[in-house]
Amino acid sequence: MVSAVKLFFATDIHGSETCWRKFLNSAPHYGADVVILGGDITGKALVPIIHDGGDAWHGTLQEQRHDLSGEDEAVDFEANVMRRGYYPFRVEPDELAELERDEQRLDALFHSRMLATVERWLAMADERLAPKGIRCYVCPGNDDQLDIDAVIESATGVVLGEGRVVDIDDFQMVSTGWSNVTPWKTYREDSEDDLYTRIERVAATVQAAPEKTIFNLHCPPFGSGLDEAPGVNEDMTPKHGGHAPEPVGSIAVRRVIEEHRPVLSLHGHIHEARGHARIGPTLCINPGSAYEQGQLLGALIELDGKKIKNFVLTSG
Amino acid sequence: MASADVPAERTLFVRKATGLVKGWSVLDAFIYAAFAINLMALGFGYAFTTIAFIPNGALIAAIVVSALFIIFECLVYASLIAVMPRAGGDYVWQSRVLGGGVGFVFACTGWWFILWHWVPIYANILVVEVIQPFMVIIGNTGTGVFQSDWWVYTPTHGTGIFVASLITIVIATLVVAVGMRAYAQFQKWCFYGGLLGLAIILLVFLFHTKADFIVAYNRSAQNLYGTGPHAYQHLIAASNKAGTSSFPGFGSFPVKASFLLIPFIVFYNLWPNWGATLYGEVKGASDFRKNCYAMAGALIFTTIVVLVTFAAMAHAMGWETYGILSSAYWGYFTAPLAIFPYPGTLAAFFFTNEAIQLIIILLLSLWFFGWAGSVFLSSTRMIFAAAFDRILPEWAARVDSRTQAPVGALALMLIPSIPISALYAYSTRFYTYTLDATLVIAATFAVTSLAAIVLPWTKPEIYNQSPIARYRPLGIPLITLSGVIFLGFLIFCLYKWLSDDVYAINNHQSLVYMGVLYAAAVVIYVISRAVRSREGIDLTKINSEIPVE
Repeated sequence: MVSAVKLFFATDIHGSETCWRKFLNSAPHYGADVVILGGDITGKALVPIIHDGGDAWHGTLQEQRHDLSGEDEAVDFEANVMRRGYYPFRVEPDELAELERDEQRLDALFHSRMLATVERWLAMADERLAPKGIRCYVCPGNDDQLDIDAVIESATGVVLGEGRVVDIDDFQMVSTGWSNVTPWKTYREDSEDDLYTRIERVAATVQAAPEKTIFNLHCPPFGSGLDEAPGVNEDMTPKHGGHAPEPVGSIAVRRVIEEHRPVLSLHGHIHEARGHARIGPTLCINPGSAYEQGQLLGALIELDGKKIKNFVLTSG
Repeated sequence: MASADVPAERTLFVRKATGLVKGWSVLDAFIYAAFAINLMALGFGYAFTTIAFIPNGALIAAIVVSALFIIFECLVYASLIAVMPRAGGDYVWQSRVLGGGVGFVFACTGWWFILWHWVPIYANILVVEVIQPFMVIIGNTGTGVFQSDWWVYTPTHGTGIFVASLITIVIATLVVAVGMRAYAQFQKWCFYGGLLGLAIILLVFLFHTKADFIVAYNRSAQNLYGTGPHAYQHLIAASNKAGTSSFPGFGSFPVKASFLLIPFIVFYNLWPNWGATLYGEVKGASDFRKNCYAMAGALIFTTIVVLVTFAAMAHAMGWETYGILSSAYWGYFTAPLAIFPYPGTLAAFFFTNEAIQLIIILLLSLWFFGWAGSVFLSSTRMIFAAAFDRILPEWAARVDSRTQAPVGALALMLIPSIPISALYAYSTRFYTYTLDATLVIAATFAVTSLAAIVLPWTKPEIYNQSPIARYRPLGIPLITLSGVIFLGFLIFCLYKWLSDDVYAINNHQSLVYMGVLYAAAVVIYVISRAVRSREGIDLTKINSEIPVE
């Protein structure tokens, strides 16, 4: 007998409180059995909320300064910052000046805020998913620091995917958040050869047939259309006003897909490259990301053990 | 909470993370928008010659006033890009705000079906601005493959327009196939080359007088087109006799008649938003402002350049001459020479050296070649977005693994455009069907404006988090205010197009044909919804908001 499974996949939420909460509610919303979160879970920026004396504070979000009067307004502002995927922190003006000078201290602050948020999120997942019997798989991405793996692993309602094969009913899923080299020199980057070795080491241990194998590889395959990002000049400005996308995906990822021919390959990494593509028999999906707008872009996929029964990209 | 401008202190600490780029260049986006409201291809290529149809309207005033209204279009689209920066543009915004069915039907007709019909319109511009003057300058009067009567005497219909349509299709296909990166580079070179050509003809006009023009016109009419002597004098005499020699002065503004010109003028300047389907991630308020600067800047720049060009032409030819030449072209009277009054051709008349004439025509032709790809390019993004929503089949979003060309979307543009171009070229009845081509796109923009107007209330959770939420002139969200003004402007144009014979598009057969296109879109959506439902996909659910709590 062949069992079917309905998956919801989202990725690249980059610290967005709104997107995480939507992700936790996605299974009942779409009628999914399993939810999978691809990489780049953590936020990209810290937003200082600077004390102006008394109960007055100010902070800047989206290039707009907000003068805050009283605790309620400060808390509201913090919530707005978190919704967009940034980490707020309160600070005195002289401390802020010190932070600007002391990179190590700034890194430590960033690290602590990030881990605290991930821990809080996982506690929410433990509380909300397990009682409903919703299975949840999370795999960090290249923008996520390595030590969040241990935090994810410690959660009871969430299964860590990184660097291993996990069973989803009759299906097996291979995951990694590592990517090929980017101009930003992020935390999980490999040369194409090393990336191939990293993925192949795990993929080689898959026992399931290709039609019951799922790849969850953060970086999309090169030249699939799921890897088209605005080209960047040497000074990190987008080429041609951002109107000139170019393929930046991984050759190694493409190679392992071509060699193993899994029924489904899930990707993220390139927010603008929302879409689906076929590489041989493999359906490759990058649902894209709109975390800054609080929109959870995702993909709902139904597998019947022989093929993709159906799939659709969602915008929730 | 009070708000003010951004302070100088450190307001954000970023760590190393993918995609953290510096701001994009406004100039690059400006060039794309400037090509979309192409003063040479769309303005001098058609819209401005419509002064012949409403001779008591002030062309300059209509150009300026329409641009003022279209500034609000720039605000609407820059706002929507800031709130929902998603490739797919109108389709995405309409489907997310007004529902998937509405989004598909209006975007499908306005960004997909109707652009098949724009291929021969582009081709017509290619003929009158590039091929026809080129053929005449090289002295082509013979028969064979490049028969002169294909291009010179019957450019609106027949084999000439079909061949030009095929050329346009090839160019557009190549542009889509090679990708945006190569196209952006090509477009930039075309922009600078086209500006050089424009600068040359401005100097030519500025350094010649009306007496010089009369001599040049008579000489060129006789030598290049084989008319008798004194073609200019015969032109003026015929125009005087027909009563088509009087136009409002350069700076005058007869309000009513000038407003009546606007539905013609928007054929050229309604499109600064053409790149909106291509946008991806937007970082913040500064990107909203940059989008405004790029689109509105292109509109203002183009408007100013048009005014300068007309001033220079008026200096060299006399202000009324452009209207008279347009009237002759549109057949209001019979003149010895009734060629399209393209500034490039007219500037070339001042020279007898063929090489100089060809340089002028070829440099100005870059305005066409840099723009021609736009007939397919934006449409492919809409097709992709609909395929991702599973309304269109999976293959519609297929990308060739070797070339990265979007072969599915390209086929959906390319294949129908060939028979449609043939029908346009060889069937007068079908040509009539296509008269409403501009109207359908304007209707799509109107529905997008409606989505923009209601967005702060229908999608408050997205709107309030967007960088534009703080813009509230008169206490009204800027996106709503801009949407109301632009929608009002579009309703005026739509009403005039549908009610006034002068625009030649309130044609019953054309309206029925356009109705068929809308019906086809509805049928596709209904079938798709039924098929997906049977597969277990609820298309109504794919854009529904997931609860946060």
